[in-house]
Amino acid sequence: MLDHVTPEAHESGSKELQDAIPRGARHVLSRGLTTVTVATVALFAASFLFAESSLSRGVLLTMLPFAAALAIASLGQTLVVMQGGIDLSIAGGLSLYVVIVTKYPAGDNSKLLTAIGIAFVAAIAAGWLNGLLIGRMRLNPIVATLGTNALLFGVVLWYTAGIPTTTTARLASIGGGLWLGIPIPVYVAVAATAVVTAVVKLTPSGRRFEGVGANETAARTAGIRVKRHRTGAYVWAQILYCLAAVLHAGIVNQPTAHEGDNYLLPSVAAVVLGGTSLLGGRGYLVATAVAAVFLSQLDQFVLALGVTYATRTLVQAAALALGVALYTVNWHAAGRRLRVRRAASVAPT
Amino acid sequence: MRYQRRGGALLASALLCVVVLVMSATSSARTSAAPSWCGPKKITLGLTDGFGGNSWRLVTTASARAEAAKCPRVTSLTYADGQGNTQKAISDIQGMVAKGLDAIVVFPDAGKAILPALRSSYKAGVVTVPYRVTPGGKAGVDYNVFVDTPFTQAGENWGRWIRGVLPKGGNVLMLSGPKGNSQGVEENKGLHKILDPSGKYKFIGEQPFEVTNWDPALTQKVLSAAIAKYPKIDVIVSDFGPSLVGALPEFTKSGRTIPALATSDGNVLGCFWKKNRAKNPTFKLFTVSTQNDHARLAIQWAVALATGGKKPASTHFPSLVFENSVTGKPNPVQCKPNLPGDIYLSAQLSAAEQTKLVKK
Repeated sequence: MLDHVTPEAHESGSKELQDAIPRGARHVLSRGLTTVTVATVALFAASFLFAESSLSRGVLLTMLPFAAALAIASLGQTLVVMQGGIDLSIAGGLSLYVVIVTKYPAGDNSKLLTAIGIAFVAAIAAGWLNGLLIGRMRLNPIVATLGTNALLFGVVLWYTAGIPTTTTARLASIGGGLWLGIPIPVYVAVAATAVVTAVVKLTPSGRRFEGVGANETAARTAGIRVKRHRTGAYVWAQILYCLAAVLHAGIVNQPTAHEGDNYLLPSVAAVVLGGTSLLGGRGYLVATAVAAVFLSQLDQFVLALGVTYATRTLVQAAALALGVALYTVNWHAAGRRLRVRRAASVAPT
Repeated sequence: MRYQRRGGALLASALLCVVVLVMSATSSARTSAAPSWCGPKKITLGLTDGFGGNSWRLVTTASARAEAAKCPRVTSLTYADGQGNTQKAISDIQGMVAKGLDAIVVFPDAGKAILPALRSSYKAGVVTVPYRVTPGGKAGVDYNVFVDTPFTQAGENWGRWIRGVLPKGGNVLMLSGPKGNSQGVEENKGLHKILDPSGKYKFIGEQPFEVTNWDPALTQKVLSAAIAKYPKIDVIVSDFGPSLVGALPEFTKSGRTIPALATSDGNVLGCFWKKNRAKNPTFKLFTVSTQNDHARLAIQWAVALATGGKKPASTHFPSLVFENSVTGKPNPVQCKPNLPGDIYLSAQLSAAEQTKLVKK
């Protein structure tokens, strides 16, 4: 939580410093989670007031599965961002896993499990490649994952010639199915969020993982194997993308060969809105998952408003900019600067 | 023994004769059956796609290959896929010109952005034939000929059917691809031309059409939002029928029946209709051909101009009605449940050949 201590707080006495460090931080709602939850509740309230149709049962049943898949993919992206990286290969990876789980069985339900198995093996391989390039060879994450992304898309085109295949009936019944009136992907997303959060926040290896992201030098000095944790982030990220891909293939009956493109920007957006710093360090996993719901509902909200496609895109961009500004602009300091300037302009008179 | 061996030799030579005869017969048959657009000059042919990544493109490319194979003067056919990257699409064309191909057929997805590449190809003396998406420019100045299809015709066909099934009027929701794509805009014009005079049809949703980018996931979101927003949708018009299969169940989820649908054909859509028509009495289906064979006309033009053959009668590929669930004319709804969903039964290329392509 030290990353929330502003330089100003350091300079201006011990009282402010104490205020800046939340006490018992582990048991208190993180700033990210509070912000994104408030934003999501506000969005649902706005939906109720201005576009009630976006809260109809049909729309919610459409929105939630997409939100669930996005939440899982964004958890993967969060792990990478926690290590100060960014994973652009999410587009190629997710596309590849979608085509594997649809094309390999080609309508045959009995081959579905094997296909999912192959997809997870491919995911581990792709994650390991990213990890090798970034964790061991210390390449810039943007460059390395962009390269891996191109490679993965190459495999997609080689495997499918770009031709989509219809989802198997069983997978469609999972992705599109309901249990107790709630879409099945929602349960999967909740479980995935719980497991990843528990591992990162409660286990020793999870704590080491977060430590490496927060301060590499300190972690190395403490004898933590930095490279291994870096590599691990990319591998686990791809595994989560693969889980999201399996759900996505079930939700969309006729997936194209480029489904992953739909996840690149939103996954990063969910991480940022969830309050995880792009510089690495502490990760807010639950907040990321809530942000995924926020982004998906935002889609449906602007659709229901009936505004043009151009306006829709602008509204989404504005929401993202606002989200980033909430965390990156130091509002406290900005406010103080404004007060000082005002006081200065008043003084001469 | 000796006799046997001689007999064997005789038999072998007889067989050889037969084989040679058959081969010459078939080759002469092929020559004599060469279509009129296949002239005397030998040529090399190129085919470029702006974006080749879907089954429609695959079947279209295979149709183009099949058409080119009808002319024995075409000694080679090179294919390049721009993969949705305008820069690559341009360099694909330039590469083919540099290789010295005699003729190229271009699907200019990026529209006017491709025009300079087409012009330089044409100026370099390569027979240049863009088709389907207008690249701007002029025939005889920037390229040899543009083989188009009047998308307004598809809109008119849909409009006439809608007038038939909804004589009292109704709410029309149109879905198309990316914002402002020329195909959707033209189709919408045709639709308005037929439906507007009666004044009984109301166009709902974003105008001229709801943007789906022809992406099944976005189509699902857009359609579910429209269903919630408009309590009454009487007919959906879409220029990519198969992409609706994942989205139409949104009606069922909202407790409504699937409305009438005017669109383009696809095996998966036909099968979806057969499966759901009983529970959805309002679900009537009308399709125009998805026009995989448009590429054939473009090939004919390119080959005719390059080999010195007879030019085809027209540069327009017509919009043809394919299925009509109400009248069964020209065809009732088609479904081959044992074949992949991603094939197009309206194409000349047989269902079996398409299956081979898609399952490759």
